[in-house]
Amino acid sequence: MHSDDNTQPNKVPKQIEKLIACPECDLLMVADKLSRKQQINCKRCGSLLNIYRNNMVTYSLSLVLTALILFIPASFLTILRIDILGHTQEASVWDSVLGLYHSGMATISVLVLMCGLAIPLVKLLCQLYVLLAIYFNKAKHSAIFYFKIYQELKEWGMLEIYLLGILVSIVKLHGMAELHIGMGLACFIMLLFVQVWLEVIMSPLQTWTLLGKINDHSKSAR
Amino acid sequence: MTTVRALDRGIILCHVCHLQTSIHDENTPCPRCKTRLHARKPQSITKTWLLLITAAILYIPANLLPIMTVNYLGMATPSTIMEGVITFINLGDWFVGGVVFTASILVPSMKLIGMFILLIYVQYGRLLPPKTCTIMFRLIEWIGRWSMLDIFVIAIMVALVNFGNLSTIEADWGALAFGSVVIITMFAAMSFDPRLIWDHIESNEGNK
Repeated sequence: MHSDDNTQPNKVPKQIEKLIACPECDLLMVADKLSRKQQINCKRCGSLLNIYRNNMVTYSLSLVLTALILFIPASFLTILRIDILGHTQEASVWDSVLGLYHSGMATISVLVLMCGLAIPLVKLLCQLYVLLAIYFNKAKHSAIFYFKIYQELKEWGMLEIYLLGILVSIVKLHGMAELHIGMGLACFIMLLFVQVWLEVIMSPLQTWTLLGKINDHSKSAR
Repeated sequence: MTTVRALDRGIILCHVCHLQTSIHDENTPCPRCKTRLHARKPQSITKTWLLLITAAILYIPANLLPIMTVNYLGMATPSTIMEGVITFINLGDWFVGGVVFTASILVPSMKLIGMFILLIYVQYGRLLPPKTCTIMFRLIEWIGRWSMLDIFVIAIMVALVNFGNLSTIEADWGALAFGSVVIITMFAAMSFDPRLIWDHIESNEGNK
């Protein structure tokens, strides 16, 4: 893994590697004094500058795979079932998108589809690709492309908010009908848990450093 | 302790991958991730102002129009965001009422006001200590997405309560306006460069 660091262009002065700039307040600090620690925070505004984790790639890979396995049941199995006067109705995450679409609110259904389903899935697939690329030490350029997409989408995956939405809906409907919780909800909670765990483990700056070090001999990897 | 900006020493950071490069590389693609390099996000203040004003205008229909309509035994009852909160509180459910109130009313209002304060701060300065502003910005950035709560509640309710003539729930135009406010304010927070908060201090006081 320790190939030549070809991420630093020649134009940049050598001492730049000993310095570290805060992305949130632009304070310039000496990296030597900071880098012995596992975690680096800005001295002025406190933002997290870098964090190093051992076995980050294999650890994250196992979490990504777990999350992807949970994704299908979490999206398509019943989350809630409701009984009113002998009528029964079930809903999964996917049904909540379809329901909005059929009630004439296509724009909002697209919003729910994106934030509740599509973006979390695309994020996981991007993470999988990036981690595999680092693991096998190839496909540098496409991995960088997919990690950029992941970073762009980071804010837009909203599984945790969706879960809160489910809880509020349960309280809202609790009084007026008999509610049953489905297997989908258990899978959804597990998916959320694994995804948050993954987000904590897969440090973006460590990933960028590893991406920069991929020794990609075949230019046609893209 | 002297505080030196990276920019003053000719060092700039890539917006996306945070690679440190020289100021001479500005406007060229980042050597690592190929994103165009800039010392600060270009047009940050103008873009944030435009997005924020758009969100503030949409905030009016978002609160005045009904977000969903409950049809029960042929009777249609539309309700706005605030009416939804009041329903919870009338039912004695203070906790859930509080959560929905925070996510749907408090957070978007605070976000709009907070971003206005930050923008005025970076343009005219000295309202609050810079550290307070940075913390405020982080809070705004982190909490903004939670306003999507109501949209998801509507989505689940629409799918679940669908019993033909007996009872249905439908989304209404307020939900569209509200969803747009959430998204546009998220874009506004993303286009704001928090380093501008500290730049202002630097130009006023110099080194401490």
